[in-house]
Amino acid sequence: MSQSSDPLREIARLAADLGPALVPAGHNELLRSITAAAKELFDAAACSMAVLDEEADELVFHVASGEGAEEVEGLRVPMGQGIAGWVVTSGQPIAIEDVTHDPRFAVDVAESTGYVPRSILAMPLETDRAVIGVIEVLDRRSQRDRDMELLALFARQAALAIENSRVFTDLGRALFASLERSADEDLGETLRSVAAGAPKPGSDLADLAAQFHRLALLGDDERTAATRLVGEFIDYLEAKRRPR
Amino acid sequence: MKPAWSEQFDADALRPVEALKLQQPITKEWAWGDSTGSGVKVAIIDSGVEVGHPAVGDIAGGIAIEYDPDEETLVRLVEGPHEDLFGHGTACAGIIRTVAPDCEIYSVRVLGERLTGKGIVFAAGLRWCIDNQMNVVNLSLSSGKRDHFDLFHELADEAYFQNVMLVSAVNNVPKPSYPSLYSSVFSVASHERKDPFSLDYNPSPPVEFGAPGIDVEVAWSGGSRCLATGNSFAAPHIAGLVTRILGKHRGLTPFEVKTILRSVADNADRTTKSGPA
Repeated sequence: MSQSSDPLREIARLAADLGPALVPAGHNELLRSITAAAKELFDAAACSMAVLDEEADELVFHVASGEGAEEVEGLRVPMGQGIAGWVVTSGQPIAIEDVTHDPRFAVDVAESTGYVPRSILAMPLETDRAVIGVIEVLDRRSQRDRDMELLALFARQAALAIENSRVFTDLGRALFASLERSADEDLGETLRSVAAGAPKPGSDLADLAAQFHRLALLGDDERTAATRLVGEFIDYLEAKRRPR
Repeated sequence: MKPAWSEQFDADALRPVEALKLQQPITKEWAWGDSTGSGVKVAIIDSGVEVGHPAVGDIAGGIAIEYDPDEETLVRLVEGPHEDLFGHGTACAGIIRTVAPDCEIYSVRVLGERLTGKGIVFAAGLRWCIDNQMNVVNLSLSSGKRDHFDLFHELADEAYFQNVMLVSAVNNVPKPSYPSLYSSVFSVASHERKDPFSLDYNPSPPVEFGAPGIDVEVAWSGGSRCLATGNSFAAPHIAGLVTRILGKHRGLTPFEVKTILRSVADNADRTTKSGPA
């Protein structure tokens, strides 16, 4: 079957290409504002958020606020290690106080936080389908009975935001996987196979989408100028490729 | 700080429950007395247990379960000693040891370096406990995935009918999680007291029992100790009490053990005059 005669596969390809450009504007800002708000609320030294990279079985720290934040962002920690790893694998929150008296413990925590805290409160980021990461609050100066409950609310928001953005970055798969759930068996099988065969998001397109996102944050004039510039550049490239 | 579900065990929220009207009331003395849990097999399904930790000492056995797509069962079972990857399994073992010092602890390591196949590995851990006739199983983890509902339910029922007591921490978020919310399981959240032998019964389940889980001093990896909070530290307290009870009264069924726990709960009203109703 040729590509053009298979509209489903063509839609999957288009969706995969388009998805990254549709990631809700301000996704990272939202996550950053969640860690910043949690840090403020708990009057904490720092708050960080790590998301699971399933293929590598690693936790990737995306955003952090406070002490050690710069060292932490982008840090990758193996799943089978530390408090963050236990929280994600078990799906249970945990709070540990007074971690500094044990050197091994302190190093372990510091490796995933960029800072040696006295206390840590860690909560899984959980969607309805799975645990997808962890949020950690270090050295809360304000301690209340409802700290775990409050952090669970932040964790829920963050998990939903991350899941939403994932839908777009892998739109080809997401689209057909979600249709499959509501389809009967035969159609479900077809949709499953289309979802499985949908191209993975290309990193170059994701980069392009990231540039669009930056563009969206500028003013109207800048956007018009940039759009015109890109249009001119594409015209030039097409003219160059045209056979003389 | 209080983990979710633990507010039901707040002093002003917890309703007293009427003790069973027996000819002789069930007391802690009758329930476990000076039992040490000797001869009772307790499995800890977690991240491993650090053998030789001062709070744990020696253990009776260990098995590490790993996901392996090349195996027909999708899991590989590695028998023998293993380390605690995180420290949490050691914390649970230390708590159980405090409550039931002479029990036989088995470490069933299912939490490891990979998340792939987590549900299958977890289920294989439960299966191992049933097949190897563990008396008590402490589970500090649960899954919210509907995909695993049937699988875990079948295993929890099988455990129940074979008198394997599954003790599970309830999840932090108030939504379904398995197997902690099955009626055949002893589901546990935290209360604020520190005495390891103090427990509450919640007359409004799904969470049934309250035990210490807030700022409790626990063992951790590398021979260390720390102060920790979480429902996952309350569960091993109840697992330890169940172990003590079984050390004194062999062959009890899960519903009998639950009845005893309810009767000796700190919020059980034992002032009611004993005798026929």
